Amino acid sequence: MKKISQLATKYPWLILSAILIVTVYFTVQMMNNSRLETDLDEYMPQTHPAFMYSDSAEAIFNIKDGILIALENKNGIYNTNTLRKVKELTKALQDMKEIERGDVNSLYEAENIVGTDGALDVTPFYDEVPDTPEALEKLRNNVRSNEIVYGRIVSNDETVTILTAEIEDDVFSIDFYNKLLDTAKDFEDEENAIYIAGKPIVEGTLVFLAPKDMQQMVPIVVLVIIIVLFIALRSIKTTLLTLLGVVLSIIWAFGLMAAVGVPIYSVATILPVMLIAMGVAYAIHLFNHLKIFLTRNPEATRAEALRNMVRVMGRPVVISATTTAVGFMSLLTSEVYPIKYFGLFTAFGVVVALALSLLMLPAALMLMGIPKNMLSTGAKERNHPLAVGLTKWVLSHQKGVVIGSVIVILLSGWGIQKVWINSSFIDKFNKDSDIVLTDQLINEKFGGTTILNVVLNSSDLDAFKQPDILRLADKMQVEVDAELEEVGNTFSLTHFLKRMNQVLHSDSAEYYTIPDSQDLNAQYLLLYEMSGDPDNLWKQVDYDFSRANLTFQLKGDDTKTIKAVLDRIDSYKDDFEELGVTIRYAGSGYKAMVFTQLILDGQIQSLALSLLIIIVILAITYREISVGLIASVPILITTVVSFGVMGFLNVPLSTTTALLASIAMGVGIDYAVHFIERYRDYRKIHTDKTQAAIATMNHTGRAIMFNAIIVISGFLVMLFSVFPPNRELGALISLNMFTSFVGTVTIMLVLINRKKKFKD
Amino acid sequence: MLQSLKIKSYLCALLLLATAAGKTVSAQEPSALKIIENVYNRDEGESRIGKIRMTLINNRDNKRIREIQQYVKDYGDMDKIIMFFITPADVRNTSFLSWSYDDESKVDNQWIYLPALKKVKRISSDSKKDYFMGSDFTYDDMGDRHPNADNHKLLRTETMNDEECYVIESIPKERGYMYSKKVTWVIKDKWIELKKTFYDEDGELLKNLTSLEYSLIKGYWFVTHLEMHNVQKNHRTDMQFIELELDAGVDDNLFTERMMSLGL
Repeated sequence: MKKISQLATKYPWLILSAILIVTVYFTVQMMNNSRLETDLDEYMPQTHPAFMYSDSAEAIFNIKDGILIALENKNGIYNTNTLRKVKELTKALQDMKEIERGDVNSLYEAENIVGTDGALDVTPFYDEVPDTPEALEKLRNNVRSNEIVYGRIVSNDETVTILTAEIEDDVFSIDFYNKLLDTAKDFEDEENAIYIAGKPIVEGTLVFLAPKDMQQMVPIVVLVIIIVLFIALRSIKTTLLTLLGVVLSIIWAFGLMAAVGVPIYSVATILPVMLIAMGVAYAIHLFNHLKIFLTRNPEATRAEALRNMVRVMGRPVVISATTTAVGFMSLLTSEVYPIKYFGLFTAFGVVVALALSLLMLPAALMLMGIPKNMLSTGAKERNHPLAVGLTKWVLSHQKGVVIGSVIVILLSGWGIQKVWINSSFIDKFNKDSDIVLTDQLINEKFGGTTILNVVLNSSDLDAFKQPDILRLADKMQVEVDAELEEVGNTFSLTHFLKRMNQVLHSDSAEYYTIPDSQDLNAQYLLLYEMSGDPDNLWKQVDYDFSRANLTFQLKGDDTKTIKAVLDRIDSYKDDFEELGVTIRYAGSGYKAMVFTQLILDGQIQSLALSLLIIIVILAITYREISVGLIASVPILITTVVSFGVMGFLNVPLSTTTALLASIAMGVGIDYAVHFIERYRDYRKIHTDKTQAAIATMNHTGRAIMFNAIIVISGFLVMLFSVFPPNRELGALISLNMFTSFVGTVTIMLVLINRKKKFKD
Repeated sequence: MLQSLKIKSYLCALLLLATAAGKTVSAQEPSALKIIENVYNRDEGESRIGKIRMTLINNRDNKRIREIQQYVKDYGDMDKIIMFFITPADVRNTSFLSWSYDDESKVDNQWIYLPALKKVKRISSDSKKDYFMGSDFTYDDMGDRHPNADNHKLLRTETMNDEECYVIESIPKERGYMYSKKVTWVIKDKWIELKKTFYDEDGELLKNLTSLEYSLIKGYWFVTHLEMHNVQKNHRTDMQFIELELDAGVDDNLFTERMMSLGL
């Protein structure tokens, strides 16, 4: 540490130019090679069995996410104008280069199979747009009597009709979305309104929205931090230097990411937040000490003061930063690449912040001079009344502090049980946003915007021509649909067979059943293949008829809804097993749920792992297990309180909110290490424990309070974000900073004060 | 060294051959429309009996094989066809009857018989664009489309598989037809389509038709083995005519609803 402390004061120009060169390099890298990953499938571990199965099922059945375009006419859709719009919009969508012609479905594209006494009629619902009352009425009746269309393409109240366009995973871009909006909105008039929804739109906009909102919020956060920093430091120089350290560590981290070709995943948006919280802390500790040193040693030269700052504060800053970095490295155990990368690059950023605060800050101050307000005014150093009062109060209420902490932990523990996991994308949007409103409209009028694919597998060829198996599949769909409110509709091979059976029995409703004979099922399917679009069939069943894809439309994409449906479907497992059929799941909604679970499992594992690592590192550093344990108390309390509050406030655990625990950890370590370090030093000076505690509070307590206030006021700005997950983020970070501070100066102070002596 | 020289000169020869083959169109050639009419009107006898073995192959290389017994009779202004499924077993004796008229304005008559239902049903549908028996062939692809429906242009003549071919481009006269363009390689004097490419409404290649085997049977040129490959879906249909008999003297009573239900 001594050598490092001399480095900055001896070669300030060298250090600053080196930092400048690296910064320029990383800025260029960031400008040229940064890439935002928008395909959510890229986030998922490709070798995980659930994803591998889902991907193979998606390939077999050509399962793609669909964009839903709803055309609403409050006076009803059966008029020439609206039907012409359906036809023309269908063609306009088919003409878009991002959309395959055959992947567009609408009332205009759908085929109707009608049975009369001796004949079978396969025709489109309309080709020429109907323009007489009779033709419109006929169309209405045709739709009403076709279960495959009524309630699926046309709403039951006949005011909304849906067009779907299925796209490949990698097609979505903001340009495409804007083009789609332009194309579709052209068809609006006083009577006809257009809404666009569907998984690709929701996911796609979200991936862009989160970082975009961050980009807008971070400058404001930084501005507020500048103001509060300036109020605390009362110097433009140190304020700007603190900020420069933070900004450079963010640039280096993203620059390295770009240099090694790692794309920016949406979780990486927390990286700057983390680095702001840590970077500000490191600088404040150093400046705080510098001021105290100069008050005590008014005669010291600039170089002496700066060297002392690095020499004394270097140790706790290094301990704190390396422990934090190692803690983040534990995220490498996650199965999910974005989380691994987040851990890795945040660890890098923390080390950069550390290096900059120990090299850049003293080098810059060496050249620019120490701010005047830090220089001694000749006034005698005295403890701030707040530090004295707080310390005395805490030490005279030790029992109360312990009981209070236990109560807070117990309460939080109760709250934690209410925490629920949510993989929903829709829930991340504002309740009054277009996307949510459209989603609600479609959920209300139709089966639902979320698709769950239930794949039934048999080892028998032609299993899905067997009446027993088909009946059970039909029974399951009918029952689940009727029982669960969340299920709006189901669709599968059984619907085709029931429809064919009815049509070939003169359209009489009593034949809307699965036929008794396997041969008849096979013959219906052959007939369908010959007269309809065979591609529709191969979305429901594979070539061997040994696997079937049952589509369930759900009214929500949150984990609770999907879990409830999965549980209900799983209850048919035994019945299917008797027929040699197994149930598996596929599709984007299911993958998102498994993915979220996987991320959280990994995060909770690595959280436990990093806590263990931290205790070990601190125990080794201080050569005492008890100090390691005491130092982990603020982290534990912060984490527990954070999750507890989430439980009480009904904030679900998502991939973003779960990462906050790592921030709690980074901040918690910092506060604890500095406090313990200073306290140990003062115990050597003061024989009276209380005096040592007061001195520590005045020294480190002040620094961590400033840090907490600065970061909290910065992140409270995010409460005004238009993006709900970022609002939660702002609130929870502020909470974590607050709890870390309070935990350190109360319960940790009590515990550390009970130790008789420290080893050297 | 010697070997590579040999290969080189062989390649050069091939190249020369190819340029020589790509002759430009000369004045003596028949008109494009005439060539397509010759194909459309090529005599295949007044009747035929035979089996079709159809292999459907999807993009995952899964195969399904269907065998169909077929009887066809040409009545001058109309064709009658009856088909019975032989395999797969669960659709055996499912039959299909069609009376199709040369007159474009007349709607074809089609019936289907499902043995498990024991009912004959008349089917009315816009059949020309429908796929034949779940294959990659539409009825139009199988020769139902009248030459007058398209504008034809003779692009060039060239040699393909040792056959002198006319290369004809056909553009539909009506708007919104399922193909925007077809290019056909017609063998001179045999009036067989050796190869045909289909372009979708966006002008992108959709399907390739290849005639794999053809022979002179009782004086008629007949394609006995052909493959249609939908390149966009990567789905293929291999169609083989076996135990084929032309001018077989098929009984007129065969093409009735009663015969459909009797089965094979």
